[in-house]
Amino acid sequence: MTNVLALVLAGGHVEELLCLTERRAKSALPVFGIYRIIDFVLSNLMHAGIEKVGILSQYRPHDLVSHIDTGEHWDYVGRQREIRILPPYRGLHRADWYRGTADAVYQNIAFIEECQADHVLIASADHVYRMDYRPLLQFHIDHKADATVCFTPQKVQSKRFGYGIIEHDRLVGYIEKPDTPPSKMISMTLYAFKRSFLLEILKTNAGESSHEFGKDILPYIVKHSSVAAYQYRGYWAYARTIDSYYRTNMDLLEEKINIVDWQIRTNLIERSKKKDRLPAYINGLARNSVISDGCIIEGSVINSILSPGVHVAPGGQLLDCIIFHDTCIGKNSKLQKVICDKDAVIGDDVSIGHDGEQVPSRKFKGLLASGISVIGRTVQVPHNTSIGANTVVYPGVRISDPMIKAGETLR
Amino acid sequence: MTKNIVALLLAGGVGSRLNILARHRAKPAIVFAGTFRIIDFTLSNIANCGIEVVGVLTQYKPLSLMEHIDHGRPWDLFGRTRLVEILPPKTGEAGSDWYKGTSDAVYQNIDFLEDYAPSTVLIVSGDHIYNMDYQSVIAQHHANNADVTVCLVRVPLDQAHQFGLATIGRRNRIRSWIEKPPVPENNLASMGVYVFNASVLKKALLRTAKRKGTDFARDIIPILIRRKQVFGYVFDGYWRDVGTLDAYWRANMDIIVPGSGLKLRTWNVKTNNHVKGKIGDSPSAYIDKQAHIVNSLISKGCVIKGSVENSILSPGVHIARGARIINSIIFHDAHIADNCRIDKCIIDKNACIEQATSIGEGSPARNRRYPKHMTQGITIIGKRARIKKNLRIGKHCIITPDAVVEKNCRSGTTV
Repeated sequence: MTNVLALVLAGGHVEELLCLTERRAKSALPVFGIYRIIDFVLSNLMHAGIEKVGILSQYRPHDLVSHIDTGEHWDYVGRQREIRILPPYRGLHRADWYRGTADAVYQNIAFIEECQADHVLIASADHVYRMDYRPLLQFHIDHKADATVCFTPQKVQSKRFGYGIIEHDRLVGYIEKPDTPPSKMISMTLYAFKRSFLLEILKTNAGESSHEFGKDILPYIVKHSSVAAYQYRGYWAYARTIDSYYRTNMDLLEEKINIVDWQIRTNLIERSKKKDRLPAYINGLARNSVISDGCIIEGSVINSILSPGVHVAPGGQLLDCIIFHDTCIGKNSKLQKVICDKDAVIGDDVSIGHDGEQVPSRKFKGLLASGISVIGRTVQVPHNTSIGANTVVYPGVRISDPMIKAGETLR
Repeated sequence: MTKNIVALLLAGGVGSRLNILARHRAKPAIVFAGTFRIIDFTLSNIANCGIEVVGVLTQYKPLSLMEHIDHGRPWDLFGRTRLVEILPPKTGEAGSDWYKGTSDAVYQNIDFLEDYAPSTVLIVSGDHIYNMDYQSVIAQHHANNADVTVCLVRVPLDQAHQFGLATIGRRNRIRSWIEKPPVPENNLASMGVYVFNASVLKKALLRTAKRKGTDFARDIIPILIRRKQVFGYVFDGYWRDVGTLDAYWRANMDIIVPGSGLKLRTWNVKTNNHVKGKIGDSPSAYIDKQAHIVNSLISKGCVIKGSVENSILSPGVHIARGARIINSIIFHDAHIADNCRIDKCIIDKNACIEQATSIGEGSPARNRRYPKHMTQGITIIGKRARIKKNLRIGKHCIITPDAVVEKNCRSGTTV
């Protein structure tokens, strides 16, 4: 696939993931213990043999830039093979933050023009899936399409997606985030474009007031050009909300994903660490859980996913939890359905998530109602604190109240 | 301060007493603590104390070692003036040949030392497990105006016959030296770590080569003790020679035995995490609904469905339902099938134990071919070996790499 340039949209800021994305791009969010969400699209590109990748990032790119490193972890170093991070820049006449996905690509039009590629694959970095892009690109070429948009059928209808109407491999209608979806086919935000067509359409769109692929470009080209629709039926998951991020992680424990077969690469180097982690030390109860290197399990861990370096002290209990790197769970503390960010310290005899599963978050009503609690990066929860379900504790908060009711947000 | 020090890491050891573990790899490349290699400990010691130029002298089966070292990158010894250079034997020059011993290996690389022209040379053996700040040895070396400083450690008297032994006097000046005495009178053993003034080292190497001497401990140190300022530096931390299967197994177990003195978590050991031959990275370990794990180290990529007690598992090990692993060390990607029972075993990479086989039970009869290699009941299964189902394999057995075992083996059998 030497005649294909890939552009990865990794810039987006999302409010829906609450404090998890307060200081990191969504695509840099940890998943399944050791990966970041962007690893899936990068591994897909690597396996497809695509040699040139540009990553468009804007929001909090630091985590992302250090994760991508030189690209060597996905073998993107060499004369032809590269990953280039494309942040916003100040031009001669214009200094703009990306004003939308299409604008992000348009602002890097020189990069696209320079490339010899005939086709451009544009993929969002925010999805968890293992897809072979080669049949998609072949489909795009065989159909002589100006653009090909990928769709996947979803049982659950949601207002968060773009929906397509497909007739005989052709995309005949596209609506972004409709109130009543016209079909079950949702856009994977994965597009193949003829390069010349992409350049033309971006220049046309640049004169408009809004610059989104989903909202502006797709509805326009469906009417005016030859757009094919490619249907993908493999596993595809998203993490647009706390609920969907949590579900996606739990899919691994429910064996909906064979992660070994997926052959995902990540960046194993932790630059902040002066040493490498030992294997996980387990001297307690671990059941149906994913436990990363450097963890110390002296309590019990059930149906949970632990990133590297998590310490569960004796008597500590994790049930249905997702715990990020180097967080410590104190003695006899019991956590249920908690997503806990990096470097948090949960004291002894703490209870989180056991009461008020039905009490939705008051501040984030539609977003946090299924009993999940979210504890931010480096938060310290004092001994004997009790925190109800559907709560959010933002980084930097000092907890002084020993009793935090369900549905509270501490910010 | 560190620019005028060059470290030489002797990594050529054959490790014959480690038997089949060293058949495919140099001793320093043998796995330790699940995800590390033996050489990581000395290489991390060197990197952590700020030494920037390191030569690694390799000879025996160097390929997996060279790949592991990967130009020094995992230890930040990678750059224009920060480097790890691999120094294999070479032909075509006067005096060049296979390395005949520790000092001969350094002698044959005297040009490497001349290129970097250090004032001080640190020589370190690559097959020991310890955490040490070499800068404090170097500081003592300079404070004493020493020509040579030899690092010493107390070992149990019953093991002292395996080492070079020293006695020390005022300001740690070495008074006597005896190499591997059959009946040792003291227990202050050489760690195989020497600090040399570069000019003293060079002269000694040239003189020793002329006399056909090849070994630091036998041919250089005893003579220098008489003629030069040779001091000892007594190290009082955890230090183990893992040159025998018993010692190798014991040192691994020390990681999970409380009070052993091996506090690996407090050491800054770095390794090369990249695994060759795999396209994807190993996911984190998966612990199944029916697993039972006690006091064990479980690496990434492991899938545990059975029971694991007091054991150390390298990445990618599969333990099936009903299997029970006790007091064992299992290397990368080995598979243990349902209802196996494995006690006190070292199982090398990609070995496969089929259903309901039991290993490590029976009489304590010594291995008939290598009676001295194992005395504590350990059985060892070679790389890619396959043990068929429903078999009984005893203690002190050696199953060689790639062997396919189809019948029971009494204790002490070699296949």
